Amino acid sequence: MMTFDQNAFLIILTASLIAISCGLLGVFMMLRKMSMTGDAISHAVLPGIVIGFFVSGSQRGLEVIIGAGILGIIATLVIDWLRQKARVQLDASIGITFTLLFAIGIILINLLAYKVDLDQECVLYGEIAYLPIDLWISDSGFNFGPRITYLAVLNVTLVVAFITLLFKELSLTSFDENFSTVIGLPTKGINLALMSMVSYTTVSSFEAVGAILVVALLVVPPATAFLWTKKLMPLIQLTSALGIFIAITGYYCAYLVDSSIAGMMVAVSGVLFLGTVIIKGKKSNFTFELPWKKSRLALEDKTL
Amino acid sequence: MEDFLYFFTFQDSSIAFVVIGITLLGLGSAYVGTYSFLDKKALLGDAISHAVLPGICLGFMLAGEKNPIYIVSGAFFSGALATFLTSWIRNNTKLSEDAIIASILSIFFGFGVVLLTVIQKSGNPEMAGLNQFIFGNAIAILEEDLYIYGGLAILIIITLTVFQKEFSLLVFNPDFGIAVGYPMGLIRLIFNVLMILAVVIGIQAIGVVLMAALLITPGAAARFWTDRLHKLLIISGIFSVISGIAGTYISFILPQMPTGPWVVVCLSFLALFSFLFAPNKGVLSRTISRNKYLRKTHQDHLLKALHHAIEEGKKYLTIEEIYEAFPYQKQKNNKSIDDLIKNRLVTKNQNIIILTNEGKSESKRIVRLHRLWELYLNEYMNIAPDHVHDTAEKLEHILTPEMEALLEKRLNFPKLDPHQENIPRDYDDL
Amino acid sequence: MITQVDNPILEIHDLIVSYDQSPVLWNVDLSLPSGKLIGILGPNGAGKSTLIKAIMGLVKPSSGYVKIFDKTLEQVRSRISYVPQRESVDWNFPASVLDVVMMGTYGKLGLFKRPGKKEKDIALSCLDQVGMMSFVNRQISELSGGQQQRVFIARALAQEADLYLMDEPFAGVDMSTETAIFHLLQEMTAQGKTVIVVHHDIHSAMNYFDWMIMLNLHLVASGPNEKVMSEELLRKTYGGKLNLLTKVTDIIKQKDFNPLKN
Repeated sequence: MMTFDQNAFLIILTASLIAISCGLLGVFMMLRKMSMTGDAISHAVLPGIVIGFFVSGSQRGLEVIIGAGILGIIATLVIDWLRQKARVQLDASIGITFTLLFAIGIILINLLAYKVDLDQECVLYGEIAYLPIDLWISDSGFNFGPRITYLAVLNVTLVVAFITLLFKELSLTSFDENFSTVIGLPTKGINLALMSMVSYTTVSSFEAVGAILVVALLVVPPATAFLWTKKLMPLIQLTSALGIFIAITGYYCAYLVDSSIAGMMVAVSGVLFLGTVIIKGKKSNFTFELPWKKSRLALEDKTL
Repeated sequence: MEDFLYFFTFQDSSIAFVVIGITLLGLGSAYVGTYSFLDKKALLGDAISHAVLPGICLGFMLAGEKNPIYIVSGAFFSGALATFLTSWIRNNTKLSEDAIIASILSIFFGFGVVLLTVIQKSGNPEMAGLNQFIFGNAIAILEEDLYIYGGLAILIIITLTVFQKEFSLLVFNPDFGIAVGYPMGLIRLIFNVLMILAVVIGIQAIGVVLMAALLITPGAAARFWTDRLHKLLIISGIFSVISGIAGTYISFILPQMPTGPWVVVCLSFLALFSFLFAPNKGVLSRTISRNKYLRKTHQDHLLKALHHAIEEGKKYLTIEEIYEAFPYQKQKNNKSIDDLIKNRLVTKNQNIIILTNEGKSESKRIVRLHRLWELYLNEYMNIAPDHVHDTAEKLEHILTPEMEALLEKRLNFPKLDPHQENIPRDYDDL
Repeated sequence: MITQVDNPILEIHDLIVSYDQSPVLWNVDLSLPSGKLIGILGPNGAGKSTLIKAIMGLVKPSSGYVKIFDKTLEQVRSRISYVPQRESVDWNFPASVLDVVMMGTYGKLGLFKRPGKKEKDIALSCLDQVGMMSFVNRQISELSGGQQQRVFIARALAQEADLYLMDEPFAGVDMSTETAIFHLLQEMTAQGKTVIVVHHDIHSAMNYFDWMIMLNLHLVASGPNEKVMSEELLRKTYGGKLNLLTKVTDIIKQKDFNPLKN
């Protein structure tokens, strides 16, 4: 039975806000061809989150965000170190770094299980369904409402402010990094700021959607929207609209089959993405070709 | 300690099965992973390993239990679908490879999570077994699993060994392969199948989330020890097996611990060790050889200073004069003088430093190389005499005897450098 | 054949540049006069683009330095304009022609400020100069190679600089566009601007450039057009690399570190 009550509204609102924050940053990550770096960051912040939980005890607060922020920066530094000092190729540097940090995070969760209110499943796909009962109650006992919704509102505000303020810089560095260095923009600083926003957004959203599904919200809506438009502003708007649509549809589909809401949001975005590829792909009539013919074609493309 | 003996003496046959299983799958995935690392497709392995989750869940739902055949087939098909979609989308859209891989990875994982939670809420008592596929539990490998996982691993190892030539061609130069008539498309397809199989057999032990490490890290670490392909494969296999067994042991003594994360930590430790300490390519070794080289250059500069002194009619330099010539590096100067004395290139009497005969010949060689290169820069590269010194100052330390002979010939055994200074030869008196 | 000038607009002193520790430019030492149209010529892999990138601070030299207007690059950034190679960016980027040309004004605009009417007017007049007015709102993915090239030149014009460095601006451009762009560049130098262009066609080079730099891993020649256009220098430039130089490069490559670095 479909319902629309206050709880459903809160969950959809929060999920939409998270999807918008992720999508907005994801647009620039995609344009920089750094989607996999986003994936790596979202995995790599896990030990920081666990340590933050451990330090802060039951009060989840600033410690978690600081912990994750530090880990995000460490991950970027390790990737750079592997590339420049140890001369490991980029894809392998990313792969080694995030698997190691994620593994450490899982080990910490298991070691600190008695002390940390976090389980592996929460890490994987979060639990937005419990949002209405996870309330923010002040010391004097006043009930402000769901804690995660506040986090999402704060996150989306900061992301929108960040992108508005640095819109010109973000688009130029994404399009032509050399040129922006030449005209004297702090290209590295802007890049670092974007990575920090991605880590912060991952942490802020992870209780709701989990560390791995955050990646889907970062990557899939921008990639889908990119196939529909050639302009930057419409790309951003469409990404946000997709975020809202995914939240609503995902919630009700999850309700129907009784599954994880975050997982269903990703599944919905996946359907949209694959549908878009079929409609907007170079060969709009979908013909099934045998994969080995395909891969031979790919090889010939390379030769050209 | 008891645990340790119990584990490694294989008194328990189920432990023996587990160790055999982890050894085989470690070898198989390291083998495939090394090729994909060389092919610079490391992250495709990450995508495939996340993408097998929905297949595992579907296999579980169809079988109603943790049946290895259903699960392996399900995982294989969803891995294959993900690989196919990746290349199909790449050929049909303007999306960059990186965005495609990240999208496929997270979409498939999202579907997997949906199915996983559906199964969870259906209250199937076997559910606990399914959770192991996420972070791995090697201890749970049973005899019947071993036949399937081990069999597939052996299949991978044999195929890669038999077709080593073809796969090397695929990684190194596929266009050449096409040109000489190899069916490179088919070889790529077989390679992709092997990669998916490697992921499929690894998930029981390592789990879908961290499987990528077993494909990427061994190859990257082994690359620091050798430039030869077959050695590379052997070393990466060893790394992978050691980490696999260590991770299994830890999840044996700490039963609530998943295996995957520990395997990854062990692997990363071996990789870090390789990055730092491998001979020749390791960070430490490179730093040492650079420092050694810098020490050598400083010694060369001291010898040259003594040579110039003789050219100016002095027999020797006092140590104070050397300190003055190379200011602010007293310690370095002393160290270099000690080294030169040890090599019998100079002698030290009180505070007087004099070149020995060997020292004279060595200093002549360095000055000669310096001035030859200056002349070469001036004559062949049209560089003004007042601009040639700095480069020659660096090249004098690296020019080989073979290069010296070439320079002499090309410049026709010149007498004078661009500054009209004598180019000293061995037979010249100093 | 290297002509040095007094009061140079650009001075390169003993520049050595290496990529991954294999040296690609050896001892480049030259000075350039202002107000000239200057060509950089040389065969493939001669280090032409590397030289431009080193001047713009995009690659770090192993040794040597560059001075522009007798100052360091940081002090005069706003007076220099740069056209990168067309292939260096992804033209599928969601932007219009006007968006890209406006990027030329960002340097003077500074951080956080949004471009306004003034920047738009500059961009439009630059587009007019390269004859792309009718494409203002076109998406860049829909342009031909020559049009993309002109957009990049318009973006450089929008920087309103005194020194222009252009990396292969004529690659993939048809004859008539090439002529039009050359006339535009000549107009600019007539107004006292200095334009340095990486180019590969010797014939058009002879017709248009005032000054020529010939590279082949090292500097073969730098001087007024009529002085350097000799058969001997062309043979030195295009007649293969110096044997000893490639041998030394091989030795350096085999080291585990870069011995040329200070």
